[in-house]
Amino acid sequence: MNRILIWDIPTRVFHWLLAVSFVGAYLTAETEKFRNLHLALGYTMLGLIVFRIFWGFAGTRYARFSSFRFGIGDVKTYLQSLLSSPKHYLGHNPAGALAIFALMSLAVLTPLVGIALYFEVGGYSLEELWEESHEMLGNAMLLVVLGHLAGVVVSSVIHKENLVGSMINGHKQGPAELGISRAYPLIGMILVLAVLGFWWVYLR
Amino acid sequence: MKHHVYLILLMASGVLYAADTPQSMMERYATEAKAEQSDFQGFSAERGEVFFKSTHGGDWSCASCHTSVPTQSGEHAGTGKTIKPLAPSVNSERFTRLKKTEKWFKRNCNDVLDRPCTAVEKGDVMTYLLSL
Ligand code: HEC
Ligand code: HEM
Ligand code: HEM
Repeated sequence: MNRILIWDIPTRVFHWLLAVSFVGAYLTAETEKFRNLHLALGYTMLGLIVFRIFWGFAGTRYARFSSFRFGIGDVKTYLQSLLSSPKHYLGHNPAGALAIFALMSLAVLTPLVGIALYFEVGGYSLEELWEESHEMLGNAMLLVVLGHLAGVVVSSVIHKENLVGSMINGHKQGPAELGISRAYPLIGMILVLAVLGFWWVYLR
Repeated sequence: MKHHVYLILLMASGVLYAADTPQSMMERYATEAKAEQSDFQGFSAERGEVFFKSTHGGDWSCASCHTSVPTQSGEHAGTGKTIKPLAPSVNSERFTRLKKTEKWFKRNCNDVLDRPCTAVEKGDVMTYLLSL
């Protein structure tokens, strides 16, 4: 077993920017004082997902969707394995992947409905529909995030590895040949600069 | 047949929505105001106007976004977005959905006063807006 690289830098940057944007958007939802910040963070989430979809095809091994596209059967098998001899995955495990796809979908739908609400698509007659569904989607996303956090804690304990640490420094313990060889810091830096630049322009 | 049921449900829900009017909301606030103040004497457009135009010690007044001439379109003090006039005489969509009105009273009062409005304050503001 060696200390090997699993998460490239763009994936980690994406993750923490998405987490910060979600928490920020949620906290600024109920007041007009921070409406601009709420909108900026919503747009940021949308942009981050666009990048992540690209990176899900062009990225490194464990960032690719193909490496964590599991069926419902895999999820069952994995969850059952937790009771006897937990099956270990270096990348996302099937249960985690389920939450991840749900989070990514909600991170697109919530801002899209928010945009329909803000730009009054359909006028007064659709206003209530957008309002209610935007709020519902935001709350649904909060629930999945809480499930995600619980999953991270549970699988860290069961597999005796620090998953949060891996999402920060990119490394896990594993056979050397299964690590990724490049971290793509430049792409990660471009992503950070693009988001900071957008915030600066939008919130100035 | 199925379509007819949906159509009837849709129409019924439309009727339910249309049930809120500025008058029905005023009655509601009047009932609440009596519970709030035992010596409640009725709402006042003048008090409503003063309330609407003062900043209550913060940065914003209601007029910051809804203008001090609420028959005109306002502009959101934070985002710059145009806000349709609040006065029902020029905007018939106003005060036709209790849930919406209550939500925005709650949110905007918190924005301006850092606390929810009382029923007397809401009734006063509505009386002022209905007088325009
Ligand atoms: C920061 C900007 C802002 C401030 C300040 C503000 N409002 Fe609003 N208000 C809005 C927005 C945005 C809406 C919703 C947009 C729309 O319905 O056109 C709204 C909607 C409303 C509605 C909804 C009416 C209806 O049923 O359609 C009422 C009532 C209202 N505001 C009252 C107030 C009062 C009273 C104050 C002062 C305590 C106030 N507002 C201060 C931005 C503001
Ligand atoms: C994923 C990101 C987002 C989350 C989690 C989120 C969540 C929420 C929540 C919970 C509310 C309160 C709803 C209510 O009280 O009615 C809200 C209100 C609002 N959101 Fe978002 N939102 C997000 C993105 C966006 C985006 C991108 C826009 C627009 C461009 C937007 C526009 C609005 C507006 C205008 C309101 C207030 C209007 C209203 O409540 O009627 N949101 N948001
Ligand atoms: C608050 C909003 C959050 C959202 C929307 C979110 C979303 C996501 C997404 C989409 C992924 C997949 C990453 C990828 O492959 O690109 C992921 C993975 C992960 N997240 Fe989060 N996350 C959030 C918060 C957190 C927090 C606060 C932590 C830690 C305390 C955390 C820990 C992790 C870990 C460890 C993984 C990797 C899981 C694995 O090993 O399979 N997340 N998260």
